[in-house]
Amino acid sequence: MPELAQPAGRFREIARGKLADAHTQQALDDSTDRLRTHRLSAWAGLDDVEALRERAHAIRMEVIDDLEGHVARFTEALEARGGRVFRASTAEEASAYVAEVCSRAGAKIAAKSKSMATEEIGLNEALSAVGVQPVETDLGEYILQLAGEHPVHIVAPAIEKTAEQVAELLSAVEGTSIPPELEALTNAARRQLRETFLRADVGITGANFGVSSTGSVCLCTNEGNGRMVSSIPRVHVAVMGMERLVPTTADLAVLLKLLARSGTGQKLTVYTTLLTGPRRPGEEDGPEELHVVILDNGRSNLLRGRYREMLACIRCGACLNVCPVYRKSGGAAYGPVYSGPMGAVLLPLLVGLDEAPSLPHASSLCGACTDACPVKIPLHELLLDLRRDLVEEGVASRWERLGFTLWSWAWSSRLGYRASTLLARLGQPLGGLLGPGRVWSAGRTRPRFGRRYRDRRG
Amino acid sequence: MPTVQLFATCLGDLAFPQAVADAETLLRQAGFDVEFPPRQVCCGQPAFNAGHRSAARRVARSFARAFSRETPIVAPSGSCATMASHYLPELLGVEPYEVWELSAFLASAGFRPLPRNAGRRIAYHDSCHMLRELRVSAQPRRLLGGSGAELVPFARPDLCCGFGGTFSVRQPEVSLAMADEKLAGGEGAGTIVTADPGCLMHLRGRAEKVGSPVRVVHLATALARGVRA
Repeated sequence: MPELAQPAGRFREIARGKLADAHTQQALDDSTDRLRTHRLSAWAGLDDVEALRERAHAIRMEVIDDLEGHVARFTEALEARGGRVFRASTAEEASAYVAEVCSRAGAKIAAKSKSMATEEIGLNEALSAVGVQPVETDLGEYILQLAGEHPVHIVAPAIEKTAEQVAELLSAVEGTSIPPELEALTNAARRQLRETFLRADVGITGANFGVSSTGSVCLCTNEGNGRMVSSIPRVHVAVMGMERLVPTTADLAVLLKLLARSGTGQKLTVYTTLLTGPRRPGEEDGPEELHVVILDNGRSNLLRGRYREMLACIRCGACLNVCPVYRKSGGAAYGPVYSGPMGAVLLPLLVGLDEAPSLPHASSLCGACTDACPVKIPLHELLLDLRRDLVEEGVASRWERLGFTLWSWAWSSRLGYRASTLLARLGQPLGGLLGPGRVWSAGRTRPRFGRRYRDRRG
Repeated sequence: MPTVQLFATCLGDLAFPQAVADAETLLRQAGFDVEFPPRQVCCGQPAFNAGHRSAARRVARSFARAFSRETPIVAPSGSCATMASHYLPELLGVEPYEVWELSAFLASAGFRPLPRNAGRRIAYHDSCHMLRELRVSAQPRRLLGGSGAELVPFARPDLCCGFGGTFSVRQPEVSLAMADEKLAGGEGAGTIVTADPGCLMHLRGRAEKVGSPVRVVHLATALARGVRA
């Protein structure tokens, strides 16, 4: 399993590096601006986006309210169609199952389409360990795999790479020089990946949604690789977060209306694929075996309680594209898998607050994420609640707690306020020497505390 | 004469007393009798946003003791108005207060500002809580326009300036980069006006530190005395 834990200070350290890299900053500005603008115009093209968001939220919460029931219905429907379902409670269980399926199939190569769930469970490492070569076939993911890096954006994984960098990586594969032009680059990737599709014994995908009533897996992709991966190899394995279910295909239609519009501004992704069971007798296409791994990995802990709304997330990336912090820090600061506001909420919930103490604070609480979320998750309020938990579970530092407690005693009365502000005025020359005052003063002048308004007013 | 209670906010009281005085001037010009409840201190937001709920509660109680529900409360801060109206009642388990951000209140009272900014170019910075929780964005612009200013839009008016309370010292590099982008966006106009003391302290402090030519002015000051005052 990849190290999802984020030690205190790591976010700041990585963000500092990204800020120093003018190219990354430009790439972040351009890509997030573009995706945001596209979302806004796509939303504007809908009749009543607010009503649709409300409907989508209700559908997602209906599933979360009875997730066990939905998983059972999905399982029953899929098994009736000849598919196999494996419920994994941990990342290790999920990876081990997929590795076993690959071994049983005698697989040397597994072709993968883009999936955050497989990133989350560290599937590639697990497959390599048993001698199966995982090959990413989503262009962005393929580029990152060649570079030995992790995705920095849940929808556009390689947005921080330039055409020149991509050309260098793809050229190295063929031993020729590929010009840094879009057409040449995509042609090269197509050439290189075609081989993989044909040779892979197992295809591995994620699942954008699962439909409880039919046992269908829905894949939304733009490059067609998802279809190749799920139809050419003899065995198809889909790894799906357990919360990704929707009750019916009619409900799926509601979410599909929002997913691509919110992520990239498209009305739909280029390919929307509904897979219902493996190939049946008499059919010409499709895999002989279809396995769906339903992944828990900490999700069921969120089912009851304040953070259940986070399970409504459909991984569209809209919150990343509007986040002014993500725009500066880049995705890697949040860790190797999820990033931006959704990552800052989800990661501490999956790995525990003490394993990711800086993420709830990696936000200015501006609320842009909440406004952009198509399924109306109150992301910034969840961050606020996680900050409360940091304090109440004793993860926040003793100094911080002591500071706020002393401050609150002083400011609970007019007299204490007067005394403390008098002290602050006297201590002003020292204010930039220590702690937060010093950090503040390194980049900004400090405000001058003169006569208070109430004293001036008399 | 109708009465309002002026909530100076802690930052206003301590760091920007002139902006609070300007807010009071505007309220009087708009025809209100202005009371300053003497027991007021702070709404508790600094602790609340950092997750320290019991510290926040302790301070927020001073707000509850100081203000009455009989007349409107007006604050020259979108952020503190949000805390006091949206979060404080739940935090303390008390009935809500009628809390207004200054420009929203003035606009609803039909206030017409004096032409203090005739010919001046101003970029108005939407502070986050005011824009996204109070949904107040047209009123300050209308008032600034009414004072004669020419409003120069930011390329991305929705972007946070990077203050964010303790965020400014927990992630100082990102916070400063956000401020720099905001200040750069205000260079065309030369003056950034904001309705929030938090944004003001952060942006002005950054501008002064790096010698930016951009002036950062509180909305109340801009309306009462003009941005060059």
